[in-house]
Amino acid sequence: MSLAPETGSPAWAGGAAAAPLGDDGAATGGVRLSGVRKSFGHLDIIHGIDLSIPEGAFTVFVGPSGCGKSTLLRMIAGLEEVSDGLIAIKGRDVTDLDPSDRGIAMVFQSYALYPHMSVRDNLAFGLKMANTPKAEIDRRVTAASAILKTDHLLDRRPGQLSGGQRQRVAIGRAIVRKPDVFLFDEPLSNLDAELRVSMRIEIARLHRELGNTMIYVTHDQTEAMTLADMIVVLREGRIEQVGSPREIYEDPANSFVAGFIGSPRMNLLKARRTGRDSLTLADATLGAPFPTASGKSGADVTFGIRPEHLTVGQTAVDGRSLTASVDFSEYLGGTQYLYCQLADGQTVTVEYRSPVAVRPGERIVLSWSMETIRLFDDAGLRLRQGM
Amino acid sequence: MTMTQTALSPAMTAAGHTVEVRPNPANEAAKLARARRKRKDAIAYHTAGVAIVLFFLAPFAIAFLASFRSGAEGMTPPLPPWPTTGFSLDSYRSLDTFGAGVWQHTLNSLIVSLATVVLTVAISLLAGYGFSRYRFPLKNTLFVLIIATLMIPFQSILTPLFIILAKLGLNNSLFGLVSVYVTLQLPFSVFMMRNAFDAVPKEIEEAARIDGARDLKLLVRVLLPLVLPGAATVAIFAFLNAWNEFLAALVLLSSNENYTMPVLMMAVRAGRLGAINWGAVQAGVVVMTIPCLIIFLLLQRYYMRGLMAGAVK
Repeated sequence: MSLAPETGSPAWAGGAAAAPLGDDGAATGGVRLSGVRKSFGHLDIIHGIDLSIPEGAFTVFVGPSGCGKSTLLRMIAGLEEVSDGLIAIKGRDVTDLDPSDRGIAMVFQSYALYPHMSVRDNLAFGLKMANTPKAEIDRRVTAASAILKTDHLLDRRPGQLSGGQRQRVAIGRAIVRKPDVFLFDEPLSNLDAELRVSMRIEIARLHRELGNTMIYVTHDQTEAMTLADMIVVLREGRIEQVGSPREIYEDPANSFVAGFIGSPRMNLLKARRTGRDSLTLADATLGAPFPTASGKSGADVTFGIRPEHLTVGQTAVDGRSLTASVDFSEYLGGTQYLYCQLADGQTVTVEYRSPVAVRPGERIVLSWSMETIRLFDDAGLRLRQGM
Repeated sequence: MTMTQTALSPAMTAAGHTVEVRPNPANEAAKLARARRKRKDAIAYHTAGVAIVLFFLAPFAIAFLASFRSGAEGMTPPLPPWPTTGFSLDSYRSLDTFGAGVWQHTLNSLIVSLATVVLTVAISLLAGYGFSRYRFPLKNTLFVLIIATLMIPFQSILTPLFIILAKLGLNNSLFGLVSVYVTLQLPFSVFMMRNAFDAVPKEIEEAARIDGARDLKLLVRVLLPLVLPGAATVAIFAFLNAWNEFLAALVLLSSNENYTMPVLMMAVRAGRLGAINWGAVQAGVVVMTIPCLIIFLLLQRYYMRGLMAGAVK
């Protein structure tokens, strides 16, 4: 997010309708959304998104289905009209430009290759439409297929390719356009699990080699965590949090983000504040991780702790342990997930790494260290020290 | 685990051994019986197939052979249907003496049919695309209205059509006839093309838009090849219907040199002075069949796919 002002006139990527944005718009080389809204009739899908994506960043839009992440991506692509607000790419207002004039390329979930053209023609189609000289087309097609190792497939039709190969061609079609921004709309969800992992690595490699701005939509949080420089968590057309994967995971802004990112999900337990630095949870009195200044006694809070931060033992530790009974367990080789129930019926998931098996029905004591606790108020917002 | 495997393996090799070396006689007999049954099935299947093919080919073959009988032979009872007194083109020559000559009428029919095909395909392509992809008020109502016109019997609107064409000065003109044929052909064609466009994934069109293909370029370069089966079906139907149409041509055309083939055939069939030249009739049937066969054989590959489109998936 370089805020250093650009000197001289920036090299706008052409386009008659392009109007350079004033103020801070010119400062960011990447993609900038300001007050972007989308409504179908009276139904609002996207509620005013403000977002600045730095140039060269790999940004992932993540959220549950129906959160508007694909719509937002399609608005950036120009496939969906913007009801209100501005979209700028490389400081150029593209809100009303045709998709082909925005300097973007998109990879679709269904690949969307042209079935009647050979792979070579699929790759070259965009360049042909732009009246690129033939020698240049050949050069770029060859270069792109070398990057993606699809050279031997150039004369085949998409119908003769496997899913992974089709996805490579779809990505290749994006590369040859030399776009400012790559847009990926859940590109891996049609692939099988093994291929998904290898294509994920491939996309990460591609980003490192090309260094372009990439925006990637997924509902798979593994993809989000592993690929992103910056994660944008969306819910119901609003941004819940923006940050690096580590920030999102370790410092969630609210209980939705805390619960959405991380697998198995964070335990979010209902608790009640009983004093400045104590709370009750399932009949046990626990020490609060930090004294809260504004905290009212008796207020409902959400006590969040990740499964891997819970330690299984037999002896209670005063103020930071709970007893639970194991409902059932999943053995995953290296670890075991224990699904437990607290005294008041709330369920807790525990990641358990000890080789000693825990059987369903056993009673265990869960303890933790204080800094792993995340507290949220009754509206779901994070409570922090000093608030 | 290892123990079980060692214990199992000798038994497994023994089993493999038995099957390989000592063929089971019962098994062999069953194999033979199966082969015999298969052959019997194949013979029955192909015999039935050949019989059915003969059944369908016979009318074509009879008309084709009979059209080469000599003039005198043409008047005799039609058995056997093939020329017995030598090959002759008499029938074709006498067919040519009807109306303005067979070439003129074939040309009329070709002009009318091909123009109908071109206009029908062009209009239904655009209309089908519009109905499939654009949102506009009363879209479904309009579509239902178009389809509903299929329910109106053509004969019932023949008189108004005649009057309208007369007012437009398109009476007794091939162009007037073409516009009537295209109008009649459109409801089915628009329906067909809309379905064809519905079957094309939206993403392909979006990818093309990002690639910079717009409007007509998008339609011609990307979408047309994908809806080709539908377009071929529309083309075949338009051609056959225009080529074979009789009533409208008879009513709307009034001068001899404008008649299409079906109208000429009526004149041939009516005969002269009560005598019907059966040879000329057979020759006319052959001349009328050939273009239909050519068009169908050319397009049938797409046509089959067109009818199947959307059946699965």
